[in-house]
Amino acid sequence: MHRYRFVLTRPLQFLPVIFGISVITFILVRLIPGDPARNILGTRATPTAIANIRAQYGLDLPIWQQYLYFLKNLGNGEMGKSILYKIDVLQLVVTRIEPTLALVLSSVILSVLIAVPMAALAARNAGRGPDHAVRIASTFGIGFPPFWLGLMLMILFSVKLDLLPVSGYGATFGDKLAHLILPSLTVALSLSTVLIRSLRAAMIEALKSDVATAARARGMPESIVFWRHVVPNSLVPTINLLAVNIGWLIGGTVVVESVFALPGMGQLLVRAIFSRDYMVVQGVAMVFACATVLVNFMADIVTVAVDPRVKL
Amino acid sequence: MTNRWKNISRAAFAAALMLSASYAEAAGILTIGRREDSTTFDPIKSAQNVDNWVFSNVFDVLVRVDKTGTKLEPGLAESWTISPDGLTYTFKMRDAKFSDGSPITAEDAAFSLLRIRDSKESLWSDSYKIVDTAVATDPKTLTVKLTSASAPFLSQLALPNVSVLSKKAVEAGEEAFAELPTASSGAFTVKEWRRGDRVILEKNPNFWQADRVKLDGVEWISVPDDNTRMLNVQAGQLDTAIFVPFSRVAELKKDPNLVIHTDVSTREDHLLINHEHGALAKKEVRQALDMAIDKKSIVDTVTFGIGTVANSYIPKGSLYHYDANYQYPYDPAKAKAMLAAAGASDLKLNYVVNAGNEVDEQIAVLLQQQLGKAGVTVNLQKVDPSQSWNMLIDGDYDISVMYWTNDILDPDQKTTFVLGHDSNMNYMTRYKNDKVKDLVAAARLELDPTKREAMYVDIQKLAKDDDPLDRPLLQPLYQRLPQGHREFLPEPARPLLPRRYGQELIGSFAPPLS
Repeated sequence: MHRYRFVLTRPLQFLPVIFGISVITFILVRLIPGDPARNILGTRATPTAIANIRAQYGLDLPIWQQYLYFLKNLGNGEMGKSILYKIDVLQLVVTRIEPTLALVLSSVILSVLIAVPMAALAARNAGRGPDHAVRIASTFGIGFPPFWLGLMLMILFSVKLDLLPVSGYGATFGDKLAHLILPSLTVALSLSTVLIRSLRAAMIEALKSDVATAARARGMPESIVFWRHVVPNSLVPTINLLAVNIGWLIGGTVVVESVFALPGMGQLLVRAIFSRDYMVVQGVAMVFACATVLVNFMADIVTVAVDPRVKL
Repeated sequence: MTNRWKNISRAAFAAALMLSASYAEAAGILTIGRREDSTTFDPIKSAQNVDNWVFSNVFDVLVRVDKTGTKLEPGLAESWTISPDGLTYTFKMRDAKFSDGSPITAEDAAFSLLRIRDSKESLWSDSYKIVDTAVATDPKTLTVKLTSASAPFLSQLALPNVSVLSKKAVEAGEEAFAELPTASSGAFTVKEWRRGDRVILEKNPNFWQADRVKLDGVEWISVPDDNTRMLNVQAGQLDTAIFVPFSRVAELKKDPNLVIHTDVSTREDHLLINHEHGALAKKEVRQALDMAIDKKSIVDTVTFGIGTVANSYIPKGSLYHYDANYQYPYDPAKAKAMLAAAGASDLKLNYVVNAGNEVDEQIAVLLQQQLGKAGVTVNLQKVDPSQSWNMLIDGDYDISVMYWTNDILDPDQKTTFVLGHDSNMNYMTRYKNDKVKDLVAAARLELDPTKREAMYVDIQKLAKDDDPLDRPLLQPLYQRLPQGHREFLPEPARPLLPRRYGQELIGSFAPPLS
């Protein structure tokens, strides 16, 4: 059981990471030129009106004092008040977590469903026709920008074939699922290419390993050798790669959410940055940071569970 | 395989089903696509167009702009009288109810007017400081006293932000009201707000003109990406959408299922010139710049022929617009000579551009080329809109392009902003002309419409002479609505006709064509 001891100790290391991120986002967002009060007031930005808004949101305080207030709020389970939406940031963020989470989850599942069989096909036919086909296809996958790919999928499946909704999210479970197909396919098509490459290489390596040779020597059929011995041994590097990519994906949903009008945190973040809604930017950044840390933690656990040789 | 896949998805997904089978049930709900979602339902806490469109669906005002967009008409105030000195307004309230069934009283109207003036969170306080007192002398009579006479005051009451709210409902909890108003005075009530996604409105049966509202409901759906929004309309998943990119209009017009409406808007894109920067302080230099710009070619290129060259800061189609105003000819050679005569032959300008805005970036490139021909070197500094706004306020620019849409019918609002010499430094241009300043102040106090119009003509002529602000580059026909399967034309431009959808236009609603 001692192999799992890190599950208890690792979270302690997260605290400085999260703290560091909070300081960096707090400072960075204030370094972008622009002014929340002037922005929200637009043409009504008279000096008195600006002063009034700044006082209301504590923007007239010294920056270190603003940060202390931010920490104090976090301690109380609050994230401050959004200057654009006029409600507590946490209350705002909570309404936007689900679409992003659903998009990330469905994209990852879809990516794995695409990547594993494709990589297996390529690895088992290394150097031959199917391998080349998979490799060429995955090169294309990397080359297509997601916003373009998304639009093409929309035109094909929604406008021409009239099968799926163009964009949006929906209210019921089935409705949401229907709305998630195209955006998660868009993400999966580019994410799976990265996975295919890593997985294929690891599988080819594992196919040549002593484990596989020994299994074959015991007279095992090649397909059992492959699925029972080769696949588990090739998963470890890919799990870590996936974890890194999920971290990237959590932040990278911004583009896909905008193209597909998914009301998630990515969209919330973009609008908050453009209107210099500091509290919301900080809040969303904190949620993204925590999620990324959590995903990497979970990847460590899975790695340990999959490969008994790994010690953390 | 295709068929099976089709069957599966149709059975499983309500959205697909809705498209094929249940048009009849959905016929009364109008879906409108727009870029951004609402931010609040408390009218005093927002100054964004996206919010005002919805406010005017949900709340009614004392005085409305009529459907021609040039006159005021009674709203919740059935009639009114103005004292001869122009200081006291007495409004007679109409027999009307909020959606919760309670009567709309003068008390509610007074509360709403004082709240927008006094609330700490009001973004509109300054505009309503003119109100001295607002008292419900009896449940049907509202008496408003102003601190000074004001010709635009009635127009200001038509702004959706000063809508009549239920005092009881707001006082029960401002934050809850801002999230989901429990009482509405307008054509629709708020049924649900899915943040970031859509606002779902339902017909308000207690609305005093409910018999004229033919829709069962309206859904304002946020689709930030322009292309996605158009695809939604083309696929029939949205009935209509606003903000059609100029570049797509010609192509969309070819789609037999779509109707593109182009209306005159109050939007004008202005070339702002910082009067405090070097040679730009000279009137001749500013005039030369105007002559160096081929406005027609810019407008045609950028708007694909949809816009027109504007010749006054009061947009065409708006009250007191002076159509005969002088237009500087395009004459780069003369411009060059004028610049040389003014000692500015090697003029270098820093042009602050809104990055990421297709129209602004195109205008910037064209302006740079054209001014180059007159010997002016233009450096393009692309920054995000929030930053460019900041730079303009700080005077950290030579030239820039910004657009304006009117909030109210009366020209006073824009005139004050661009020529009133108040704290906004005349649209951040630092322009100074005491004659213009005095005329603007006098026109605000002049209650005789004929005299007032003459004053505004003078202002437009004067400004044309020495302030390039009055040389707006273009007035696009701004609201371009591709129409899905229904006959409906909302008027989202908050300046004009904020009440349209409550009346005539919903009246012209027809069943789906397909």
